[in-house]
Amino acid sequence: MLQGRAMSVVFDVSSLKAMQSSHSLSPQTALSAQELSQEIKSFISGIDTVQGRKLSVREHARCAVRLLRSVPACRGAVLEHLRGVYDEHVSAFLHNLEAEGDTGSGVSSNLEDIIQEVHGVLSEFIRLNPRAWAPLVSAWAVDLLGQLSSKHAGRRVAPHSCSLNELLQLWMSCAATRSLMETYSQCLAAMLAWCPDACVDALLDTSVQHSPHFDWVVAHIGSAFPGTIISRVLACGLKDFCSHGSKDQGLMVMGVDKGGRVPKIGSVVGILGHLAAHHSDSIRKELLRMFQESLTPSSPLSPTSSSTSWESSPQLWRAAIPFLLQLAAMSPNLFGAVSAELVDLLRPPVLLQLQALLQGLPREELDNMLGLAVHLISQSPSGGARVLRFLADTATPASVIISGPTPAPHEGVREGCDRLLQMLLLHLHKLVFNRSDGVEGNPHHSASSQPQRVIPFLEELQSHVGELCAETLRLERKRHLWLHQLLCLLSVYGGPSVATEALCQLLTQARNPEELALAWQLHTTLSSCMAGLIPAAICRCVAEIHTHTLGPKQLRQLLLNLAAAIQSQDEEKRGAAGPQSSMAMQVGSAVSGHLHDFGPLLLHGDPAVSHAAVRLLSCSPLPRTSSPAHLLLLSRAAVTHFFLALQRRGEGGKEGREGGQAGEAVNCSVLLLSRFAAYSPLTLKAVVQQLVEGALHKGNADLFGGQIADMSGAPVSSPSVFPDLGASLLDTNCRFGTSVNFSGSVWSVFHAGVIGKGLKVRTETKLPDPSGVIQNIQTLLAVIVQCCSSSGLNGSQPPSDPDEPLPINAEAAKVVAVTLVENICPDVANGELSWPPEEHARTTVERDIHIRRCFEAHPVLFPLLQVVAAGRPALCYCSAVLRGLLATLLAHWEASREMSSIDSPWHLQATCLLVSCMGEGQLLPPVLANVHEAFPHLMPFEVRLLLLAVWEYVRANGPMPQKFVFSSEKGLFCRDFSRDGDVARYVAPIHSVLHKNIDRLGHLCWRFQL
Amino acid sequence: MGDIRQSLLPRDVLSAAKELLYHLDIYICNLVQSGRQPPQVDAKTLELVEEFILHAPKDRNAPARRMSALQELQLLEIMCSCFQEQSRDTVRQLMFSALFSLQGNQADESRMSLLGKLVSMAIAVGRVPILECAATWLQRTHRVYCVRLAQVLVDDYCSMVPGSVPTLQNIHSTSPRFCCQFITAVTTLYDLASEELTPPLELLQMIVSWIHDDPRLVLITFLNTPLSGSQPISSLDVTPLGGLVRWCVKAPLAYRRDKKPALTNGSTESEAEAGPLFSALHLSVLQVFMLLPNILNEKGLFGRLALLQMESLAALTSDLSRLLDQADKHAHTSSAETHVLSQLALDRLAQALQVAMANGALLCSREDLRAICSRLPHNNLLQLVLSGPVMYYNNIHTPPLTFSPHSAHSPIASHPTHPAHAPHTPLATHSSSHPQYTTQPFMTGMPFPFRPSH
Repeated sequence: MLQGRAMSVVFDVSSLKAMQSSHSLSPQTALSAQELSQEIKSFISGIDTVQGRKLSVREHARCAVRLLRSVPACRGAVLEHLRGVYDEHVSAFLHNLEAEGDTGSGVSSNLEDIIQEVHGVLSEFIRLNPRAWAPLVSAWAVDLLGQLSSKHAGRRVAPHSCSLNELLQLWMSCAATRSLMETYSQCLAAMLAWCPDACVDALLDTSVQHSPHFDWVVAHIGSAFPGTIISRVLACGLKDFCSHGSKDQGLMVMGVDKGGRVPKIGSVVGILGHLAAHHSDSIRKELLRMFQESLTPSSPLSPTSSSTSWESSPQLWRAAIPFLLQLAAMSPNLFGAVSAELVDLLRPPVLLQLQALLQGLPREELDNMLGLAVHLISQSPSGGARVLRFLADTATPASVIISGPTPAPHEGVREGCDRLLQMLLLHLHKLVFNRSDGVEGNPHHSASSQPQRVIPFLEELQSHVGELCAETLRLERKRHLWLHQLLCLLSVYGGPSVATEALCQLLTQARNPEELALAWQLHTTLSSCMAGLIPAAICRCVAEIHTHTLGPKQLRQLLLNLAAAIQSQDEEKRGAAGPQSSMAMQVGSAVSGHLHDFGPLLLHGDPAVSHAAVRLLSCSPLPRTSSPAHLLLLSRAAVTHFFLALQRRGEGGKEGREGGQAGEAVNCSVLLLSRFAAYSPLTLKAVVQQLVEGALHKGNADLFGGQIADMSGAPVSSPSVFPDLGASLLDTNCRFGTSVNFSGSVWSVFHAGVIGKGLKVRTETKLPDPSGVIQNIQTLLAVIVQCCSSSGLNGSQPPSDPDEPLPINAEAAKVVAVTLVENICPDVANGELSWPPEEHARTTVERDIHIRRCFEAHPVLFPLLQVVAAGRPALCYCSAVLRGLLATLLAHWEASREMSSIDSPWHLQATCLLVSCMGEGQLLPPVLANVHEAFPHLMPFEVRLLLLAVWEYVRANGPMPQKFVFSSEKGLFCRDFSRDGDVARYVAPIHSVLHKNIDRLGHLCWRFQL
Repeated sequence: MGDIRQSLLPRDVLSAAKELLYHLDIYICNLVQSGRQPPQVDAKTLELVEEFILHAPKDRNAPARRMSALQELQLLEIMCSCFQEQSRDTVRQLMFSALFSLQGNQADESRMSLLGKLVSMAIAVGRVPILECAATWLQRTHRVYCVRLAQVLVDDYCSMVPGSVPTLQNIHSTSPRFCCQFITAVTTLYDLASEELTPPLELLQMIVSWIHDDPRLVLITFLNTPLSGSQPISSLDVTPLGGLVRWCVKAPLAYRRDKKPALTNGSTESEAEAGPLFSALHLSVLQVFMLLPNILNEKGLFGRLALLQMESLAALTSDLSRLLDQADKHAHTSSAETHVLSQLALDRLAQALQVAMANGALLCSREDLRAICSRLPHNNLLQLVLSGPVMYYNNIHTPPLTFSPHSAHSPIASHPTHPAHAPHTPLATHSSSHPQYTTQPFMTGMPFPFRPSH
């Protein structure tokens, strides 16, 4: 039974054998030994041994394939022969390409099927027994690929080796290389499972051997197996690096000469470089993983650590960091991929590990690494700002007061970073200055040939100048020194544009003198190699102002800083002239060139900004020449600001600090206006005119105790001082012809109200704070007096006595006068200077009333008149106003039925002031002018008498400017009354009034002596 | 012979090798004709061979000359025809050994590699003389190298080139001697100790079919070799019997173990295919044992030459007990199956022991057997064998207790020091009494001459 079973087994075996041979892969039947022997002979000799003729390439290849299938011992020879076949095909292929395919596919197509056949056989073998075939075939294929690609690299159709894509396209379109590539991929896919290191090693070796021409293979393979290839390539590179490094007694020596000493690292870089285009993510991950694992070798971080062996050896993970540095140094791509995330990885625990690891290294090796790291940082095209911040953060000494974003690092780590940072600065310094030396030093050699060297780190930081400046200004211990140094380097590197930006930023961001000093330090350093820095910086600031890129706070700070800079000039003048003085002067002159740009800032909505602006303007020198348009604009702005400042002072007067600031603003404004007025006749006129207009302006009137006659409560409005209220008068006039119910007279609307409706209701206006009003009036007068007395106009010489106030300039006073007239009395009819007889005044009742109301509404007019009077003969130009006022006063006193003039206080005051002004202005001789002293003691009627005398005098002796003569010893214009008619005629009524009230006026008699 | 070096030096690699071969042929012919005994190739010539054929670096400075694969193939082809055309056996042998006998130097690596290719090619193109020479080489060389050669051939024909198994299969007809040595080497190589050391299925099928077709095949070397003292130490066994017994006994457990780690279809399939093959092989082995008494008697060696040695048996039983222990440990799930397989292994062991002892292939006492089998678990058949009837029933020609214990244990016993006993004795009278055992079914009821009657 056993036997039977065995028999059946045997049958099974034989059937199995039969099955096997039938399922044998070669289509042809198995050859006999004899045939095989013949076949081998044919193969060797290339001659068909049976027929005795030469074999064609194709037949020869077929023969080889048959041998490959049947005679294992021929394997090597067959593969070697096939190399030739592949080579032949590639040659033919390229030849065809070169011949532009005019011969069609003659030879190549013949071989193409053979190649297809070979490919089929090989891939079948690999599929059936990968372990045996894959190493063999992969070695063959990769070597052949290398050989083919370098052999045919010089062909005309072959693209240059640096255009990888074209190369790839060309070779993949060639059947031979494509099939080799496919075969190789198949092998690799099989081999990666059990010996990944070996196959990548082989790939790298070949890549080194056939360097640039073989790159397309690596690129293709790499993109087919990105994950494995990347990590393998890295592992191989590290291993190689490590072994070479230990041989060379110092790992970093190779960093210096990048020659052939480390053959593999070059191709590692090349390969990864190719892969970086599509797989930069995985490359980055791998590199970072390597870094992390080198720090924590024992941690089971990577799932693949079992298969990769590099983690196991301590020597390897010690070499990992130098290796990574080296890689990064050789390939900007890789460096760029890693650098961004590396900084994030360097958290304190990692830093500690790193330090622990590096402590073990010898000194010179560390130095080399440091040098390399510095080189890398300076060459890093992106992320420089983050690196810098990290370094500065880590290197800043721990402090109790300032706690940085990260907790205080370990002391050793800190020192390391400190050292790194200093070396970096030194390195950059060398780079920057050598560079400019190279270009400037010998222009004959380098100017044309060598463009300026680019330092990517600085290149990138150029866009972070603002942040750098802000960091610097924090004045944190050592940090600001580093950063300041860096700023200098950056400015030198980047040239004027960066330098001005830096300066500009510093000027904008500095908040106190110490911080501002950094700006001057920067300037001092840079001034040696750059001219015109400050004007450029100011220009830039102005540009920023125009584009509204600065917020109010920054704007204010900028203006204040500029002001401080200019003011330092004054201080320097007093003290010893330091290096800043010239700079302060430069700032001053630069600012003065842009005054018209700063002018609008006076009216900035933010009080702080306008305050800062006025400070700057008040201290900045004025330009030598300027266009009238700019001047006018500026003066308008300055005046407007003045009133604004007054208003602010009034509003903010209660609170201490703001009040002080407002007060200072007013002072500055006064200073500005006076300096401005002194600048030129034009500005004087403009300033004075606008001051007067502004003082009378509705919006500002209340500052000076003015009351605007607001008649909004009345049913119909009356003509008013202000044109905008005139609309209602227009209304009335429109209704004039259409209205039916006249109440008897056309003139039913009067100033006092509408007939039949009683007096107009006066609105209660809030009386402003009298002391404030007085202060404001004082300020205004002071400004105007200062403006008017300044020597800008027709160059009157300064007085000999400095204590004596300067005389009011006549021209300036005339401007005030004219402005007053224009504002008080818009009706120009009867505007001549000479006075008519008193009776004619009734023709101008309307205007006169208007004038009086104006004076009522604006108490500030009298002081202004006094100013005008002081600037003889300017008061002459106020003739119309004076006349109008006097006429209404005459009317008042005539109609008054009071017992004493004191009973109408305003009129009394107005009368007194008017007469005294006319006396001061020398419209009246002193005898007549003195009558105002008597008014308070008289009855209204008597006042009228005296005023009539005044009127008569003026009518007879018209207020003409030509009657005034300049007296050089006084520096004033004076009027010689003796040339006019006899005064006595007009003094008679005075005397009679005196006479009548001698009891009360006795003490005044001497005033009226002729 | 040494003086031709200067003329060889300027030649290219291939023609230098060709020329040297030519000169070597002449030289050896002269040597043989001169009748000097023993014919010995001098050292100078060996050096030339190493330099110009094997391309061992002569000294460190000289650049190593290498042949391309094509040139090597041409050389191989020339060698093939050279051996083929040489009619005199002695010359061939001398030449072969001049080329390929190991010298223990650097050149041995390239020698082995060239030899592997040559033999592989000879198999492919059926060059009998080379195979004969290789068979001799396999007899004389240390087993480590023999195993390497076998490995090359197995790789070439069983794994690398699919469909080339039939070519290898042919060697049993072209050169049975080589085939026998090949089997010995293969069984030495694959001791089933691990997965790598498990023979490929194709190889197993081939060997099974060879032995099944011709059981005498395994004895050919033994039959054709004059047992002389020149048998080198550590060479292969004279017969593959020991290795084959090991295969059959260990197979059930070894294949089972293979299945364990990877439950892929492939391994179970191979197990399913391999199981019957080993059964058949076991049967064949037993049949070969039964051929032995006649042959041994013819040679006058019965009871004096142990073809199965105690050492290898002891190693086998200890391996087996280890495997059984392992099987027990891992047999939580399929203990029934495990039990069946262990019993199969033990059964086979018992059968082999019994048959070997009975046929004079194993020379030892039951005591010795009990000693080496003491650690094995219980098996009925083994128990019977171990405690069985005395062995002088085994052979009527030999008086009992002829075997001294020392002859069973000392290597001297397996290689008798007296070649005087070796000469072929006339054919045993029993040879005719064992008609056609290959076709004779082994049935329990059948009378069996060597079977002790109970």
